[in-house]
Amino acid sequence: MNSTTRNQPRTSRFAWAAARAVLFFLRARAILVLLLLLVLFSVLAPEFLTANNLSILTKHVAISALLAVGMTFVVLTGGIDLSVGSIAGLGGMVAGYLLTQGFSFGGAMYFPPVAVVILLTICACLVVGALNGWLVAKAGVAPFIATLGTLYIARGAALLISNGKTFPNLGGGAVRGNTGFPAFGQSFMLHVPTPVWMMVALFAVTWVVATKTPFGRHVYAIGGNERAARLAGIRVAQVKVITYVFSAFCAALVGLIIAAQLEAAHPATGESFELNAIAAVVLGGTSLMGGRGSVTGSLIGAFVIGVLADGLVMLGVSEFWQIVIKGVVIVLAVGLDQLQTRLQARILPYLTTAQAEEGKS
Amino acid sequence: MSHAHEVAAQVILEARNITKRFPGNVALDCVTFRVYRGQVNVLIGENGAGKSTLMRILAGAERADQGELFLNGRPIAVDTPRDASLHGISIVHQELLTLTNLKISENIFAGRELCRAALLVDEATQDRRSSAALRQLRKPMDVAIETGRLSLGCRQVVEIARALDQGSRILILDEPTSALSASEAESLFEVIADLKRSGVTIIYISHRLHELLHLGDRFTVLRSGRVVGEATRADATRAWIVERMSGRKEGANSACAMTLPSRPSVLKVRGLTLRGSVGDEAAQAALHDVAFDLREGEILGVYGLLGAGRTELVEALAGLRPIASGAVAIRGQKVRTGSVRDALRAGIVLMPEDRQRDGLFPELSIRENVVMAAKTGIILSRDEETKRVRRLAAELHIAAKDIELPVTTLSGGNQQKVLLARCLMCSPSVLLMDEPTRGVDVGAKAEIYGILRELAGKGLSILFTSSEIEETQALAHRVLVFCQGQISAEFLRDELNDEALFAAASPAVTAAASASIAGGAA
Repeated sequence: MNSTTRNQPRTSRFAWAAARAVLFFLRARAILVLLLLLVLFSVLAPEFLTANNLSILTKHVAISALLAVGMTFVVLTGGIDLSVGSIAGLGGMVAGYLLTQGFSFGGAMYFPPVAVVILLTICACLVVGALNGWLVAKAGVAPFIATLGTLYIARGAALLISNGKTFPNLGGGAVRGNTGFPAFGQSFMLHVPTPVWMMVALFAVTWVVATKTPFGRHVYAIGGNERAARLAGIRVAQVKVITYVFSAFCAALVGLIIAAQLEAAHPATGESFELNAIAAVVLGGTSLMGGRGSVTGSLIGAFVIGVLADGLVMLGVSEFWQIVIKGVVIVLAVGLDQLQTRLQARILPYLTTAQAEEGKS
Repeated sequence: MSHAHEVAAQVILEARNITKRFPGNVALDCVTFRVYRGQVNVLIGENGAGKSTLMRILAGAERADQGELFLNGRPIAVDTPRDASLHGISIVHQELLTLTNLKISENIFAGRELCRAALLVDEATQDRRSSAALRQLRKPMDVAIETGRLSLGCRQVVEIARALDQGSRILILDEPTSALSASEAESLFEVIADLKRSGVTIIYISHRLHELLHLGDRFTVLRSGRVVGEATRADATRAWIVERMSGRKEGANSACAMTLPSRPSVLKVRGLTLRGSVGDEAAQAALHDVAFDLREGEILGVYGLLGAGRTELVEALAGLRPIASGAVAIRGQKVRTGSVRDALRAGIVLMPEDRQRDGLFPELSIRENVVMAAKTGIILSRDEETKRVRRLAAELHIAAKDIELPVTTLSGGNQQKVLLARCLMCSPSVLLMDEPTRGVDVGAKAEIYGILRELAGKGLSILFTSSEIEETQALAHRVLVFCQGQISAEFLRDELNDEALFAAASPAVTAAASASIAGGAA
């Protein structure tokens, strides 16, 4: 009897240390997986770790990272935005139309300059985002359904703009005064592709908003406990609308980047992008129930998916297997998330009592 | 030895050395609870004493960290509610779990539907057996009506019928009268007496002393997760129970008498009327023409049964519910109702009844939980927040090792203080508290009372609701009693007594009530 009581604290202390270590690895899993993948592909494919390849990789990642970072706020409030792929597609088509068709006033054609094209495109996309926000926050439609609806609406609108055709030659013309659009996706600054800069800038802004401003805190609060948030005087509906509008803004950037890179706008652009973005958010540790997660996680998640895709291509893995592997990674990520939550719930009481005891002694 | 043997034979169910931990507190600490065959076994304890947790373990809704269960002397494993019902143990929860969209017989057979040809639900037999069970309870009802249309008392009977039909020999009633009117409670006591006569063992949980003393055969008192007293009917007295429950002699609390401050009124409520939401069972409990004043530095208690309109009142004042008519004014300034933000701006802040559902942000830290409602600039200043939260935590004695830990690591009492700190961060002039010490242990309860008195002493006006007579008496300068959405009585602190409060709160008091309690238990 005596010996068991004496032994108990020691074994428990060891168990706590082990549990703490496991918890640490679970919390840092996204970045660990990313590092693991980078090492793995560097060893298996020598050409993987070259500046040129990494530049291409980052450019790929920028697309899904923009969408994932944009959607993080929505997911943190407990919502979801399925419409981002369609919004990106719509954005490309609006830009393509304005660049190639222009406006006609009484027979005379008028072509707006590139800056105006970009602005109008973003505005068009924000309207869809505002519709999402209104449906979810004011009309009380479930986010999944509301954004599923706008997914179809935006896609249909994109197809209607050109009657399903592609707008080619978005380079513009000197005569029309609208050259330079491709630079939006193709140019470099300090040897780094412009879209990558956009990703960095957007991430920086989003990170500050999420961690340093009342708005960010309100987003977490709404996802954690919406009733309590309302009672604390938070404008729940307003915050929600802003998150959907912001998500649409990021989708607009993606639509513009792709159209600029291809110098063409195709109405099917962005199909199933929303799934990639959601996968990145989830891989980054953001809970689909809301309230828990981070913008940094989403960025890392986007990199994991991007590195995985490009690495597997370099290794010559069949495209079909790539899809299977991506699915497995997502399921594993969510499984680990559950494990972390459970472990945390199990050991937190012990951790706090241990701390209290340490504090006493 | 033979005596011990005899006792063992009387014990039908024993929970031995049960321990259960939750994040931040130990709900049950090595509890041994004996249930005697064919008797009404009363389990008493204040909120947070661990009564409900123990019952959830007996009913398979929760698993103990340590300890064993014995049925008729043999160890049993009860890991799921299904295991419990196989052993003949059923529970009727305090918050009734009736499926309001289904009819009565469907509720009685939910999850164990009778089937014909192993495929189709045999509704005819279900209906017949349901009617029989309800008749046995002397409560014949049309089993085809939707449960949502029944009163709370009738729903409770439906749940008891469900337990009976399962052949339960042990029936747990968790605070069965907390939602019932006096007449409904009276007929419940008749049902209990009937069940006892037919050999069913009852475990009865409540903190209404007058009921317990009439009903119970065996008494077990829990305090802060420990068994602190056991007695038979002959030995249990009111004074003994109160002393065991609270750990102090009765009356010790009222030693610190308070005088009602003669200050100007801060909050004026006139003609407040509230419609019940359509299709809600609370429809009958809307507010009708409620008017009162709250003075500066006054602690005003609002007492009433569940559904009397207590929660509706504070939620309406806090702007959570739109009001139909009436006016609310702070220091003569009319407050726009129906908006939480306007109420906050006017200085009215609500501390909700259910802190898990309406109060806490479980993912966030203690600091973030406290500062959530405070006014802020564009960029948050972590240092400033830390300073303010530390100061408040010290003032309110929040026992937190580190304010960056998740709020869920705190005990119930400390979580409650975190919410109180959040309310104080808004520098309110009127603090509304819905059940200020729900799910809080005894020590923290006394501490919270002390803090509230201190705040009132500094001029804060407090309005609290409570379903506990003891709490109402301990805290309030003045008490408004609500009954069916109206103020039915008003008492000053000196005029308070249990009987008068309970009588004013009950919609239809009959003289037969207490007689039937006594008769039913005999």
